[in-house]
Order: sequence, then structure tokens, then C-alpha cells
Amino acid sequence: MSGKMSRLYRGETTVDFYGRRRIGFFLSLFVALVTVASLVSQGLNLGIDFKGGVAWEVPASKTFDVQHARDVLDANGISSKDAKVQVLTSGTDQRIRIQVGDQPTEKINVLKEAFAKDAGVNTDLVSVAAVSSTWGRSITEKALRALVVFFALVSLYIAFRFEWKMALAAIIAMVHDVLVSVGVYSLLGLEVTPATVVAFLTILGFSLYDTIVVFDKIQENDHRFKTSRVSYGDVINVSMNQVLMRSLNTSIAAILPVLSLLVLGSWVMGAIALQEFAVALLVGLLTGAYSSIYIASPLLGMFKEREAKYAGMRGHLALGPEMTRLILTGAAAGRRATAQRSEATRIDEAVEQASKDQDLETASTVLSHPPRPRKKGRR
Amino acid sequence: MRRRLLWSLIGVLVVAFGGFAGNLVAGNHPSLGLDLQGGASVTLEPIGTYDPAALDVAVDIIRKRVDSIGVAEPEIIRQGDTVIVNLPGVKDQKAALELVGSSGEVLLRPVKQVGTTQTTTTLPTGVTTTSGPGGATTTTLPTGATTTTSPAATSGGPGSVRRAANTTIPATTIATDTTIATDTTIATPRAVGAAPPTTVSGVTDSITTTADDRDRDAVLPGQQGDFVYLVGPTGATGKVFNNNAKAEISNGSWVVVVSLRDGAAGADQWNALATACFNGTDVCPTKQLAIVLDGKVISAPTVQEPVFSGGNVQITGSFTEKEAKQLAKYLQFGAVPVRFSAPTVQTVSASLGKDSLKAAIVSGLIGILLVLLFLLFYYRVMALVVFGGLTVSGLLLWSIISWLSKTNGLALTLSGTAGIIVSIGVTVDSYVVFFERLKDDVQSGRTLKNSAQRGFESAWRTILAADTVSLIGALVLWWLTVGSVRGFAFFLGLSTLTDIVVSYFYTRPTVLLLSRTRFLNSGRVLGVRRTPNATLGDQ
Repeated sequence: MSGKMSRLYRGETTVDFYGRRRIGFFLSLFVALVTVASLVSQGLNLGIDFKGGVAWEVPASKTFDVQHARDVLDANGISSKDAKVQVLTSGTDQRIRIQVGDQPTEKINVLKEAFAKDAGVNTDLVSVAAVSSTWGRSITEKALRALVVFFALVSLYIAFRFEWKMALAAIIAMVHDVLVSVGVYSLLGLEVTPATVVAFLTILGFSLYDTIVVFDKIQENDHRFKTSRVSYGDVINVSMNQVLMRSLNTSIAAILPVLSLLVLGSWVMGAIALQEFAVALLVGLLTGAYSSIYIASPLLGMFKEREAKYAGMRGHLALGPEMTRLILTGAAAGRRATAQRSEATRIDEAVEQASKDQDLETASTVLSHPPRPRKKGRR
Repeated sequence: MRRRLLWSLIGVLVVAFGGFAGNLVAGNHPSLGLDLQGGASVTLEPIGTYDPAALDVAVDIIRKRVDSIGVAEPEIIRQGDTVIVNLPGVKDQKAALELVGSSGEVLLRPVKQVGTTQTTTTLPTGVTTTSGPGGATTTTLPTGATTTTSPAATSGGPGSVRRAANTTIPATTIATDTTIATDTTIATPRAVGAAPPTTVSGVTDSITTTADDRDRDAVLPGQQGDFVYLVGPTGATGKVFNNNAKAEISNGSWVVVVSLRDGAAGADQWNALATACFNGTDVCPTKQLAIVLDGKVISAPTVQEPVFSGGNVQITGSFTEKEAKQLAKYLQFGAVPVRFSAPTVQTVSASLGKDSLKAAIVSGLIGILLVLLFLLFYYRVMALVVFGGLTVSGLLLWSIISWLSKTNGLALTLSGTAGIIVSIGVTVDSYVVFFERLKDDVQSGRTLKNSAQRGFESAWRTILAADTVSLIGALVLWWLTVGSVRGFAFFLGLSTLTDIVVSYFYTRPTVLLLSRTRFLNSGRVLGVRRTPNATLGDQ
């Protein structure tokens, strides 16, 4: 490993996340607008668990099993992928229950006859009924109410454990995650099932978890830099670079099983039911990882920079070697601690300093003092 | 210190492996949900005339009831006018039938005797107990068992019934919330025609409010299970009330107010019952009227008026807000005029099919393998600690899920699996947070031994903060939702708790102990080289 990878591995990156915050904001704003447009124009493709539909019950026979039922559906232009086919058993009597979304009356009758023919029974033995959703309106309402309560409680907790500006940033990032995930589903027309909803909830939890870890680091660094004059943007940049490897590792560890579920389980082994579920998890995990880096933290920076404490240093960002120095020593370079200077000299000096500091990137050279002699005796 | 670490490590390993072995020996294993394994399908057909809107309310009641047995994720469908309830786990078919099949009807039955569930069967004839506080009276039963009955109520449970304040006749009596002394020992009330009262539980178990014995005397347990009531035949059903029961504050305490339906089906039935109870006739010697739902007395207020001419009924008692609202809800549900015929049970196959389950398991395992390989590449030797940690978490989760599958009807659905799969990420994250910190320290010149303790403390803070948020989420979702969201919340909470336990009792001692070994302090640990010349001062 060498070059960028090696620096990433050792946590020595100096990416200016905060300075490039607008890229993330614009991207997210764009996606949010597309989501809204897509929701208005084509809405969500809700599965039969949400919408209800029609169910046939057909006596099972040697010639008629679950696979046959699916074949009949496909032959009649109804995608068997979205159908729910189950075997009902009471005693020795077996019936096959086929449930699909709403169909026109003619189609229902055509299928009734097709099923009866395939099963080799009289049409009267095939029952048809309208079916309500298993995931009724009341469940959705309860889930939404729970979500609101959850947001409120989490905000309170973050405000208590960290500060309210972090709570606000974290909640906005979560809303962002919901928007993006819903947008992807609406755009691609993927079917929304109860499992998908649950997957989204999982993701919200994960995204929030990720954000908290980043905020914890920011808070730690904020204390660390208390004595030196650094802008809040610097605090964020330093923290982000420090946790970058953690964020990447954790995301990889979370995404690998999901990816395996999608690629192996769904595509290679052909379990289609897993696809929607895995896609939901994948989209959510990626959005969650993105939002804690590009939405939550920059937002926090913008809220905090307005505070009197940081207003003086607003817009000043330590970049490149200067950031390395901040990360390693926790102190701003000497001249940064003095009063502000004109923009021109600042840039000149930065360029000059950058050329000077080009090889000052390891801990040993950044340190101006020799290491303190080790104390003797017990530790 | 070292010994304590060792004990913690040994403790958690014993619990994890012991739990696993114990469940294995007992034959417990996680039962799978409807989507993965199928289950019992109960069909309910409404009989008589009913309001279609009432059917929705009935579905709600059934859902609530099914949710109350445990953590299974039921599927409730209206197919035409029939209601189909699918329950995971075919083993419990009979229990499912009983649960779903009960009427959901509120019955009003006069109370003949009240007792606590404590039993004293050996009392000889004629022995009486001293009267307890609250003016409890003592009655001697012909069989020799001594029963103390009390004119009224405990807090929250039974209360009193009187006309609502807005009736034309001034309220002549004041609700007296006398209390059944819980410390008095009360013998079993003997059910008429029942076997000698050996234990109360034996009697109550055998009696349920089926259509047959709603017209006979029965011994029913109270809602909290601390009282039993001997109640007479059903005098009226919840249908005497309009669907407007609500809880409100009157004179500074919570009361439940409901109005009576007019005519023979409502007010007349109620008043006949009220008069009998108010006069303390043989039918209703205690003057209490039990409100019974599904074989349980949810409240037994004392009747304070012979005739409720205003059409309004007010139930007072020292209710909390929650209890009052609960009672109001029951009265409302009880007024739902839907009755179902005897339910039929079928088994229903998995909706996802065996191939899905197999694919999920295989790809899930391969996914975990990939994660382990990645960690091995990244953290080298220390990845072995993560292997161990994931094994311990896995065993703990498996044991808990297996145990709850057996005891509480827990079922693992695809949604639940979602929680678990993502929790792999969260679990691994705890290690990543910790190791990244160690790596930073080692890189800047500290020895592993030096940084382990400090590193854990700061990582622990982060882990705790992040896990607390997950726990809040799990609890809120668990309390406020139903069905599969609830199932998900359960698994999220479970895996988060496991993460906290494993981090503290497994990861901490393992890393701290390992950090003292010579092996890990030489060479490249965690994949980074220590830079001995660059020892940083304490920050």
C-alpha cells in the first residue's frame, strides 16, 4: 500500500469536507426535488400487503401446485413476482391460495377458469374474494406516530448528551435519508412491502448511529481545540478525517452482508423476494453513510459558525499540511493563533507555507519539541 | 484488576456457551415467521347482522389481542366479510384458536362474591377472619371456606356506578371508594355446582365465558389477577351502551362516562340489572356489577342508583388516566355489534418459500465470511478478537431467540432478519471505533498496553451514546406500533443490548488482557507500525 491508500489507512488524509459542503448540499437538494417530482407524478408502487387485492382459492391436485399457479398468472399477463401464493392445509384437504393486486372483473373470471382448468376441477370449486390489506391504514398511522415520538425523544437525548444544534443536524440528516430512499423506490418503481418499510427503519437507526459517532468525535475535538483559535470548520474537517476510516470500515462491514444477500441470494440463487428487501437496505446504508458525512456534519458547522465564539474565525480553514498539524498536535500553527490578516497575505503565506511544509507530514517532523522524557517508576 | 478482567471474560463465555448448550439440549430453536415457515390460519365469519365499519374495529381488537400474547407477527386480513388471522408457529394452533376465537363482547354480570386469589382451603367450618380495614365484612360459606366480601372497590379496579351529573335527578349518593383489604386472607369462593374449592386457579382455568356458561354462575379472575369474582348469569351485554364511552375528569378525578341506548335493548336491560344490584337482592348481594371481557372482570363498580333515568352512566373510582381510558375503550369495543361464528383453523404455507429462506441463510453466511475476511485484512491479528466477539454475540442472540420462541411465541421473520443483518454492521462498528483509536495511539508511539485502557474508555463513551439512540428507537417502536414493525423493533433492541453487553464483558477484558502479552506489543499490531521515535506527550 502506498500513496493515497496508505494515508487513508493510517488516518492521515486531509480532505477538506467542510469547504466542499456545497457540493453535498446541492446534490441532496437535487435528489430531494427529483423525489418530490417523482412522488407527485408516479407515486409509490405499494405491494399487495398495503393495497389488498383479489384472492383465489383452488383445490390443490397432482397437476396443480404453487409453481403451476405462478405459471398460470404469468400466462395471463400478471407478474407472478408480485403475487402471494400459499398452500392451505386442513386435515388432508389442500388448497392453493393465490393473492394478487386489484384486477378488473373480466380478468378475475378469466383467471378463475384458467385455474379451474389447470387444476382439473369444476369452476365452482374455485372461490374468489376481495382481500383487504394486511398492512392497514391503522398500522401506517401507528408507525408514523411512533416515528414522530422517536424523533422527538432522540432530539432530546442528543440535545442533552451533546447539544441541540447537533440534534437539529442529525434529524435533518435522517429526514434526508427518508427522502432519498423513498425517491429511489418511487423512481425505479420498486415494490414497497412491509419488509421494505422495516428495512427503512433499520436504516434510519443505522444512519443515526453513524451520525452520533461522528458527532462524538466533533465534540471531543471541540474540547481539544478550546485553547487555540480554530474555526468550527476546522474542527469538523479534523474530526471527519479522523473518523473517515471508521466510517468506511463500518459501512463496508454493514454493506457486505447486504450485498451478498442481493447478488448471491437474489440474483444467483434466484430468491426474488430478497431483492426488494436487499435493495432497500443497500440504498439506505449508502444514503446513511453519505448523509452523516455530507449533510449532518456540514450543517452542524453552519449552525455553529454563527456563534460568537467561532464567528471571528469563520471561513478560515486549515488545509493540507496545516490540517495534518491540527490533527496530530491539536494546536493551530503559530500564526493562525494571532490576529487575522488580509486575504492576500493569508493566501501568499499559505502557498509559501505549503511549499515549505511539503515534507512535514509525519508526526516526527510536525512536532517542534523533542518528546518529553519518559517518567521513571510505576505507570 | 487482571483477575477481574479474567472473570468477566470467563463469565460471558460461560453464559454464551451455556445458554447455547442449554437451548440445544432442551430442543429449543428459533421458530420462523409466517413469511418463512407459514403457520396457523384462523378464519372468522361474522354472523347475524352487523355494521361493516364495526368489522374494522373488530379487526383492531383481534390484532391487539394477538399482539398481547407475545412477540409473534400476526397477519390479519379481511377477505370479503370474513376475517383471516394468520399466526406463525403451527405448534400453538389450539392456543391461537382460543385467543382469536373469544368473543370480544363485554358482558355485564352481577357479582355474588369477591375474593383474592390467595387460598386457604383448610379452614374448618365456622372459622371467621377478623374484619379488615375498610369495613370488610366476613361471610361464612356453607362449605366452611371463609370469604370476605367488601362492598366496593380497590383503587383502579372496581369503582362505583352512578348517574352522570347531567341527569335531571340530583345525584343522591356519593361514590364511596372503600377498599378491599388486600391483607385479609380470603378463602376461595365456591363456584355453584363446581368441585370443592381446592385452588382458585384450578377453578378459573376450567371456566371461560363461552356461550354456554355465560348464563350460569362462574368464577372469573380480575384483570390484575389479584381478585376473583363469583358472578351470576349475564344480565346484559355491552350493547346496552352507545359507542360513545369516554374518559373525562370530573371533580378532580378520572371517570368513565357512557350513554345508554334507548328502549328494551338498552336502558331497560341496564335498569333491571341496576335495580337488582342496588337493592342487594339474592341475584346481586354485593351490589357490585362486573364488567366482563373475555372471561376477565375488568371492573366491578358498586351500583349507586336503582334507575338511571337520564340515560347516562358514570363510573367513578380512583382511576388513573390510563385505566379510565382503557375502561372506556373496552366499553366502546364491547358495544361493537359483531359476533363471529366458531372459527376454523388451517395451516398456511410460507409466503416466501423454502428456496428464499435457504438463499437468505447461505448468502447471509457468505456475507459474514466476507466481513471477517475484510477485518482480517484490515486489523490483522486483532481481527481474531472480532471473530470471538461475533461468535459470542451470535450465541447469545440465538439462545435468547430460541428461548423466547418457546416461551413467548416469538417468530423470526424476514423483517426481523433485517434487524439482525444490519446489527452485524453495528456490532462490528463497536470494534472499529475501539481499534481505530488504538491504532492512532500506537501509531503516535504509545504501546498497546498503554493505550488499551484509555482507548476503551473513550470508545465505550461513543458506543454507549450511539447504542442509547438505537435503544430509544427500539423501545418507542415497540410500544407504539403493531405487527411487523413491532417485531423489527424487538430484534433491534435485542441486538443493541447484546452489543453493549459483549462490548463491556467480552471486548474490554479480551483486548486489555491481550495488550499485556509480549506478542502483541512487538511488531505490527493492528496493521500499523509503532513509531518509537515519535512518542507524543500527553495531550
